Amino acid sequence: MLEGFNFRIIWEYMPLFLEGLRNTFLISILSIFLALIVGVIACGGRLSRWKFLRGISIIYIESIRSTPLLVQIYFFYFGLPTLGIRIPEIQTGILALMLNSGAYIAEIVRAGITSVPNGQIEAGMSSGLNYFQRMRFIILPQAIGVTVPPLLGQAIVLVKDSALLSLISVMELTRCGQVLTSERFMPTEAFFTVAFLYLCIYFCLKYLADWSQKRLIFKETY
Amino acid sequence: MIKFKDVNKWFGSLHVLQNINVHVKPGEVVVICGPSGSGKSTLIRCINRLEKFQDGELHVDGMPLHNYSINLTKLRAEIGFVFQQFHLYPHMTALENVTLAPIHVRKIKKKEAKEIGMEKLVRVGLGDKASSYPDQLSGGQQQRVAIARGLAMSPKILLFDEPTSALDPEMIGEVLDVMIKLVDEGMTMCVVTHEMGFARQVAHRVIFMDEGEIIETEKPDQFFDNPQTERAALFISKILTH
Ligand SMILES: Nc1ncnc2c1ncn2[C@@H]1O[C@H](COP(=O)(O)OP(=O)(O)OP(=O)(O)O)[C@@H](O)[C@H]1O
Ligand SMILES: [Mg+2]
Repeated sequence: MLEGFNFRIIWEYMPLFLEGLRNTFLISILSIFLALIVGVIACGGRLSRWKFLRGISIIYIESIRSTPLLVQIYFFYFGLPTLGIRIPEIQTGILALMLNSGAYIAEIVRAGITSVPNGQIEAGMSSGLNYFQRMRFIILPQAIGVTVPPLLGQAIVLVKDSALLSLISVMELTRCGQVLTSERFMPTEAFFTVAFLYLCIYFCLKYLADWSQKRLIFKETY
Repeated sequence: MIKFKDVNKWFGSLHVLQNINVHVKPGEVVVICGPSGSGKSTLIRCINRLEKFQDGELHVDGMPLHNYSINLTKLRAEIGFVFQQFHLYPHMTALENVTLAPIHVRKIKKKEAKEIGMEKLVRVGLGDKASSYPDQLSGGQQQRVAIARGLAMSPKILLFDEPTSALDPEMIGEVLDVMIKLVDEGMTMCVVTHEMGFARQVAHRVIFMDEGEIIETEKPDQFFDNPQTERAALFISKILTH
């Protein structure tokens, strides 16, 4: 079955694949980290008492969630230069991934926070705890158990989504497959290897997700 | 200690509190009863500002609650609130539930707060459950932890919103016993409840509400044996046959 399969070429291109893997990995880590910050801020705005902040957050979250990521990537790739902002493709890509995941993370965090029953909050208010104390001691410890697993799910999605950056010629994993395909015309070998490496990243994250699911039942977090 | 003067409150177009006038003196125990939806919860939730009202004056422990700029933390620190559904923090042990507010609101040292917390847990008969989580406790035990949580702040007033309504019948007694002990110690209490035995035994006054109005204010025996209004008589006959 594997007669026509050229392992030598994979080996020959291994340095390129490893570079792609490294880039995919770095892009993903950086994007998810920034997306977390954006997401928490957007969630704060979404739950804010001020109409203006709430409005902006809703517009941001909904417009991201209602448009394809590829469109968002092109929007920044072609749009930013026309605004006179010239940044390398890789940074454009990270910006797009960050804003995209940030919107989903905002909703994940919001679901976690609103999953804490109102009675808990009233109990905290009744004993004189202020907003930040209630967040810190009552809401977040209970929200985190239901938030972390879907956050890792979002991280997995982001890793796979980063493949779209190949379309604005960022040298990540999928782009490496395209390079091998165009230079040697060996798409099977190329994308088999690419898929296998994505699989490796996926299993690392999946393992982390399962582990956190077991560990973060709220009792143990306190 | 608590003084309502012509308080009115609306939820949208619903007039939930109509011209409320109540004066609760220090050490007094007031039972509030009335049909479902009559505004009992809303009334006692106004006392610690879980609800706002639009019109009238309310003084609690000398603080004017109609004045929106009062210090809420200071107000609430002096008032314990016990909910029908307990609302214990599920991720904390009984003792942690009880010590959270003393540590972070009263700024008492952890060690000292633990001693106070233990003392309160012993007082409600749960000294041996300090390290249990709420889901390991029965309903009656959870409610007693909730009472200990209120007591740990050394409040001047305790408010109870149907503290035994969510309990199985065999657990009601243990919670009422704790509450009766508090009355004997001279605590100021407002209790929304339909437990007639409790009201007769310890209440100084019964307030009967219907459709947002206070219909009667009487001594318990007078109220239950000889209600002055038809509405109250109807209500009493209903809880008796219940
Ligand atoms: N947040 C709210 N928004 C709108 N209406 C409300 C709200 N809270 C309560 N109400 C309404 O106000 C009225 C009084 O409610 P309240 O909870 O004070 O009654 P209650 O006497 O405590 O009744 P129960 O015995 O069922 O607890 C009810 O008609 C209720 O539907
Ligand atoms: Mg009620």
